[in-house]
Amino acid sequence: MNLQEYIASGILEAYALGELTEAERKAVELNTKQYPELFEELKRIEETNETILLNLAVQPNALLKTKLTTAISPDGKTILLNSSSSIWKYAVAASVAVTLGMGYLAYDYRAKWKNSEVTLNNLIAQNRLVAQDYNRVHLKLDRIENDLKIIDNPDFKKIVMTGTSNAPQALASVYWNNQTKEVFLSVQNLRALSNENQYQLWAIVNGKPVDAGVFDGTTAGLIKMKTADKEATTFAVTIEPKGGSTSPTLQTMQVAGNVGKG
Amino acid sequence: MYDNYSGALYGVVLRVVRNEDIAQEVLQDAFLKIWDRIASYDEIKGRLFTWMLHLTRNLAIDRTRSKEMNKNRKTDDLANLVHKVENQEKFEMTVDALGMREVIERLPAEQKFVIEHLYLKGYTQSELADEFQIPLGTVKTRTRLALKELRTILKED
Repeated sequence: MNLQEYIASGILEAYALGELTEAERKAVELNTKQYPELFEELKRIEETNETILLNLAVQPNALLKTKLTTAISPDGKTILLNSSSSIWKYAVAASVAVTLGMGYLAYDYRAKWKNSEVTLNNLIAQNRLVAQDYNRVHLKLDRIENDLKIIDNPDFKKIVMTGTSNAPQALASVYWNNQTKEVFLSVQNLRALSNENQYQLWAIVNGKPVDAGVFDGTTAGLIKMKTADKEATTFAVTIEPKGGSTSPTLQTMQVAGNVGKG
Repeated sequence: MYDNYSGALYGVVLRVVRNEDIAQEVLQDAFLKIWDRIASYDEIKGRLFTWMLHLTRNLAIDRTRSKEMNKNRKTDDLANLVHKVENQEKFEMTVDALGMREVIERLPAEQKFVIEHLYLKGYTQSELADEFQIPLGTVKTRTRLALKELRTILKED
């Protein structure tokens, strides 16, 4: 075999880099065993390769070492006893000792890390609550601003509906724009209803009650109702089965108020 | 052993699989295998590091050929690509390698190209040959010349 040609082909470098197949590798190993010159050359190449890779090292996560320690410690002892080479016994024993020491450090580090993780999670949860509160307040403010625009608008007439003999304490108001026919309702005091019933607003137009929509008495702020024709003279609220009726049950009338002139 | 070599081997794995989680798994498997087979290591064959490197690198390459990684590669879109390039920088720069990079810079262009791909970008010689259409024999001789040159430079330093 021409050793110089063999070396020049770069096969020893390919071996050192781990590029060869199992069979090619075995062939190289046979040759280096046979020719000391090849063995020496391979050694130099391996040293260079090792130096480069050590310089390009990236440290793995410290937890990996802990994991490995737990994975190998049961078997570590058997390797220790069965190993034929005393150098390896020593190396393995030293590794185990170092590993155990590092294991403690890793454990300590992990405990601290866990602790800060808990703190962080708490902070994240608190932050979420604050954000939710903020959103809720923001929505409420939006609604109040919208209500205020209607109340402040001179085109809207306020009609106060006072309690009838059925409910002397009851009180509710209608904001009505007789140009656009828009109607908003504001509940000041109406008693709570059972689930089967709802309040219904009526506009009296030309002496006839016209449905202006149903509502639950519990809503805060202004409630947008159906439109009311500009001929409306009176607004009134009755209690009707859920969903409303086509004509009012006059016996249940709670509040009523007349549209002021002008 | 772990302290001496885990960094160098992790660097190799990381450059091949390009994902820190997978690299950790591969390195863990590699060290378990090394433990398992350390009795079969024979000093006559060569240096311990080379033996460990063979084992570790094969596991890493096998992993890139597994289904899981193929799936990962398929889902690489443009957004991932940016991230990938950033990561690539990170992998190459977190290493204590600035000195090594300077050394590599001093190589002739053809050799520098080969060394950068083999050592910094996690290519195998055959991947390099296929992707850049260089005959595998040429890649091998260039690797040889480059390593010879590096040996001289490293000795000078």
